[in-house]
Amino acid sequence: MPGFECRLKKYRQLKGLTQEQLAAQTGVRRETIMRLEKASYNPSLKLAVDISRVVGVPIEEIFIFK
Amino acid sequence: MKKTKNRFTILLGILCVIFTGVSSWYTIVFNDSRFIVPMDLSRYTFRVKDIPMIVSGIFIFMYIVYLVVLFIQVVAENKYKKTSSQLTRKVNPKLGFLGLFGFTGFIGFWTYSIDKTIFPFGFFIFFGFFGFFYEGKLSGTFMDERYKENKMKAYFSTNKTTLTIIFIATIILGQGRLMGNLEYTFIAYIIIVSLALALELFLSEFLLYHYDNDLQIDESEE
Repeated sequence: MPGFECRLKKYRQLKGLTQEQLAAQTGVRRETIMRLEKASYNPSLKLAVDISRVVGVPIEEIFIFK
Repeated sequence: MKKTKNRFTILLGILCVIFTGVSSWYTIVFNDSRFIVPMDLSRYTFRVKDIPMIVSGIFIFMYIVYLVVLFIQVVAENKYKKTSSQLTRKVNPKLGFLGLFGFTGFIGFWTYSIDKTIFPFGFFIFFGFFGFFYEGKLSGTFMDERYKENKMKAYFSTNKTTLTIIFIATIILGQGRLMGNLEYTFIAYIIIVSLALALELFLSEFLLYHYDNDLQIDESEE
């Protein structure tokens, strides 16, 4: 299990996006977004940057590595 | 367009066969069967009557070249389609039942007892078709980065397992002392390698499916 905390769900909901919409905008499947929100998948740098751009929040605020 | 091309290819083939048949008949009847019966080409001297056989030979050669070019074109097109597609190929999970053909490997015991034929033991590899059950479940899936990562992980684990089995089998059976018989050793080796390859075909799809569905995640959006 990747050792990080993921606040994607919070920022996604603040942006008013569904998992499906976020997945479509970042070029991944909804299942991948679900796993990201559960912090059970460590995304590539590109995906992290894409997500950060879509939700409009810096990467380090979405993915918190302790 | 494709249909016209196919018809053209078949028509060309038929023409080649007809022309070769006619020129063969001609050379048998009027030209001492030259080019049909074995002849020493180092002492060859040209005769006008050889022309039909030479022309049919050129036609066949050109037709083969045409077929090779066609084949390369089809392979290149398919490769392009494969790389440009973002979805996994469509496979019916019921194709997994083809794995039952793996039992045909047991025919080897029968053929070996009759005339020492051992190649049917290789049919055990068909057990690998059971992998279609899992490939079918993932058919038409969008291949995002997590899917590709899982695929690599599944293939890596599978290759490692298969190579380990084959390596151990090679070391043990390489002694050539199975029941004191070298033939039995060779048969056992064929069976183990076939089963290991079948395992590779199956396990890669099985693991990919399980990595892709590793967590029981709440499907709701919340």
